[in-house]
Amino acid sequence: MIMDASVLSDDEKKFMDEAFKYAQEALEAQEVPVGCIFIYENEIIALGRNEVNRTRNATRHAEIICIDQVNEYAKKNGLDLKSVLAETSVYVTVEPCIMCAAALYNVNIKSIIFGCQNDRFGGQTVFDVAKVLGPKTTVKGGFRAEEAMGLLKEFYKGTNPSAPSTKVKTKGKKM
Amino acid sequence: MSAAKRPKLEVAMEPVLPEDLTEDVPLIEAYTGIILDAKSISRMVVDLNSTIPISELAHLKRVRAKEILLFPTTFTTPDKVIEVLKRKGFNVEWISDQINVVQVAEVPPKTKKQYDVVNKLWPCNFHSNKYLEKLCTNSLFNVSELEDHKRFMRMCIDVSKHGIKAGAIVVDPKTRSVVAVGFDKTSENPNKHAVMVAIDNVARTQDGGAWEPIEDGDGASLAGIPGNILDDLNANYPGNSFGASCYKGKDEIESPDDGPYLCTNYYVYVTHEPCIMCAMALIHSRAKRVFYGTSVPEGALGTACKIHTVKDLNHHYEAFRGLLKEECERLNGS
Ligand SMILES: [Zn+2]
Ligand SMILES: [Zn+2]
Repeated sequence: MIMDASVLSDDEKKFMDEAFKYAQEALEAQEVPVGCIFIYENEIIALGRNEVNRTRNATRHAEIICIDQVNEYAKKNGLDLKSVLAETSVYVTVEPCIMCAAALYNVNIKSIIFGCQNDRFGGQTVFDVAKVLGPKTTVKGGFRAEEAMGLLKEFYKGTNPSAPSTKVKTKGKKM
Repeated sequence: MSAAKRPKLEVAMEPVLPEDLTEDVPLIEAYTGIILDAKSISRMVVDLNSTIPISELAHLKRVRAKEILLFPTTFTTPDKVIEVLKRKGFNVEWISDQINVVQVAEVPPKTKKQYDVVNKLWPCNFHSNKYLEKLCTNSLFNVSELEDHKRFMRMCIDVSKHGIKAGAIVVDPKTRSVVAVGFDKTSENPNKHAVMVAIDNVARTQDGGAWEPIEDGDGASLAGIPGNILDDLNANYPGNSFGASCYKGKDEIESPDDGPYLCTNYYVYVTHEPCIMCAMALIHSRAKRVFYGTSVPEGALGTACKIHTVKDLNHHYEAFRGLLKEECERLNGS
């Protein structure tokens, strides 16, 4: 799934840059470094990074947080949430996990562009969610994959500060 | 007492098992030779194990009566078997020149049922796992435990009535206490499936949470259950305990079992089979067991797929379906 950078338009590259900024921010906050932005009508309507440790809720991945934000955005602007989501593109530094892929397909998101593969939880790599749900969403991956993987490696080199230590030792080396 | 007269358990609950426990063991074909002199068997086996070890079939016995297992048929064609044996240095004078083909288990059987099938084809080693046998034969729980499961599912149904359709509760089986509840709020936010809400409410008992404003005194043991629901449950289920055990920060936790940490060691009860998002959310949260009532077409714990059995994931929980199925099904209509 290696993708040539030229496959993305200048706008798309710019949005990916933005997603990387939040991944970096997550790393600094000792969260799994995944950054994500949602684009609707060429504008950022949601941006997020993982907040699992802060919220002590293992489902607070960047994508889920962004869907929450789109929900608020639609309410505030008197827009129909379903129609907004169907026209929204997602840029995320790491392949969405099984949970997030399902969440994005469930709300009928327009497209997903991701950086590196997610070997531990990936919604394509580990279990093919699209095969079960048959979504309309288009998915492209492999953009700036090494850089995205580098951030993850840096994170897993240290330990997850919130998990009891014995749990991290065995799982931490995989990525 | 005949089987028919035995009181029938009303709880038609069953485990949703991974395929390698429910399917027959895959078979492959292997060559066997006929032993000419029974007295040479033990020397022959030693010789064969050193000249032609078949580590991938180590679960099989090498000898059945006067027949000895040589190697899988994928190694060579029948007419070349003797030649291969000679080349590898096996003393072929111990066997006749008649070569047979038998079906054997490709992998070790995991359950007694699987063992009984493949052992008839060719003798096989088997180490029975008591826990697995109970799980596979659906005899894991005794009558009073089943009563507990039913009571918790009844609470789940009560909780579901606060939302659109589905309800969920999270229980700490050590204390039999309800830690958190959740009900479907998808009319408010597409992420707010009952299970997702329940998981966030568990986080509230651990000084966390994302969806509800954190008030004074949150992070307390009862923070996972909204006040009005707690009042109802207390009234309808007197004697049941409610609330999480005291939350410990990361510095105070000494062993992994010294939680609570996410949903580690917790049981989750949910009226409807969780979707892929919720099923995976429970993996991320490290739930121990998930019990649900009614199956749904998009369900991810047995119907559309089995997320809890995906081998490559770093955590797995057990799933059980059919607990108070009829009552849960009835919720769909309302
Ligand atoms: Zn995710
Ligand atoms: Zn769900």
